[in-house]
Amino acid sequence: MFVTLEEAKKLIEQGKVLHIAGDEDLLAQLPRGNWIGGTTPYFITDEGGITCKDKLFVNEIAAAVECKTAVYDKSNVLNISQDAYANGLSLLVMPFASEVAICYAQKAPDADDILMNPTIGWISGYDLSAGGSAKAYDGLTGSVYADKAVALHIALPEDKLAVIGIVNIFDRDDNGPKIEFMEDTLSVKTCLVDGREVVLADYLAEHNINTKLPLVADYNSVLVNVSIKDVSEDSKTVDFYAPVFAGKEYRFATPVNDYAASFAEHLQGMAGVKPVFSCNCILNYLYGELDGKATPPFAGPVTFGEVAYQLLNQTLVYAEIIDK
Amino acid sequence: MNLDRQFQQLIEGEIKYQSANLSLNLLISRLQRKYSSSQTPAEMQQCLQEMKAFFEKYASIVAKDAEALSKL
Repeated sequence: MFVTLEEAKKLIEQGKVLHIAGDEDLLAQLPRGNWIGGTTPYFITDEGGITCKDKLFVNEIAAAVECKTAVYDKSNVLNISQDAYANGLSLLVMPFASEVAICYAQKAPDADDILMNPTIGWISGYDLSAGGSAKAYDGLTGSVYADKAVALHIALPEDKLAVIGIVNIFDRDDNGPKIEFMEDTLSVKTCLVDGREVVLADYLAEHNINTKLPLVADYNSVLVNVSIKDVSEDSKTVDFYAPVFAGKEYRFATPVNDYAASFAEHLQGMAGVKPVFSCNCILNYLYGELDGKATPPFAGPVTFGEVAYQLLNQTLVYAEIIDK
Repeated sequence: MNLDRQFQQLIEGEIKYQSANLSLNLLISRLQRKYSSSQTPAEMQQCLQEMKAFFEKYASIVAKDAEALSKL
């Protein structure tokens, strides 16, 4: 729901269990209650993409029978699965570039039990044209963090189950070069391209690679993107928005000419999905010019990283609550 | 339904199975990576334990996966 500050306040005062995204000036005015939130001025509403600091995007988790919040730093964020309810859903907000977000990105894929409890979330951000800082909010305590993650753990009734899904409009170019990395890292100088060691920054330039396209790895048929953040000609480093992992094979994505049309195509057959939360990546919003374009049945904040158990890039993630 | 053999073969990469379920696919990928870095009986037992716990907890949504795996 894309609502005004006053409407959001009413929902909180009614005791509803909520996730709230928006500008920090609005979030700062919200009363305490059963909510967590994060900063972003970008949204894809039912009417389409919009940059807005006058409204908040609110998701109500109506099925919740109980909830609690938890705050994490890099020393304990992987405890998130242990803290979850046995039958529930955990929503996680982590500020962009925070140590806790970096830690989660690097370690969640290998963390014990991370897949035993549904975890969905996002990396909070800020207005890219105006600057600012990313924040996460614990509405229960009224605390705000630039350096910690906030989770809302939700318990569901016994006859319900939370299910997490993703929509990735990028395919791997399996005819293209195979890229491998020697270590798990967010920043590389060298890598293997078809088995040969190269300086990745030079390789990208020499082959005129479109760096708006992510690297894509196959996780047992789940295509997981790693987006390129920066290529430095000076230091010859390539920085990513998510880690690359040793032992995974990456290929560049095949180009997408029309992001909105591609989302529409991928979302065919999903009209019956009733997400309780979803978010989509800022890079899809910007590169895909999604301003004014909707992605039904999904609407939600536009985010600086997405979490569907692990950190993803350039992906739409969503959670549904279904009957067991 | 005992799927230990299929789970082991899946983890070792001897057989392939792709689910419609995101978390199951991520789990298979995770356990394959975990086992490949330390191919010991103890590691395999841990991986099997994790797979079985997942199938037990999510029996209602992986029932079709269990049936499909039983035929492999």
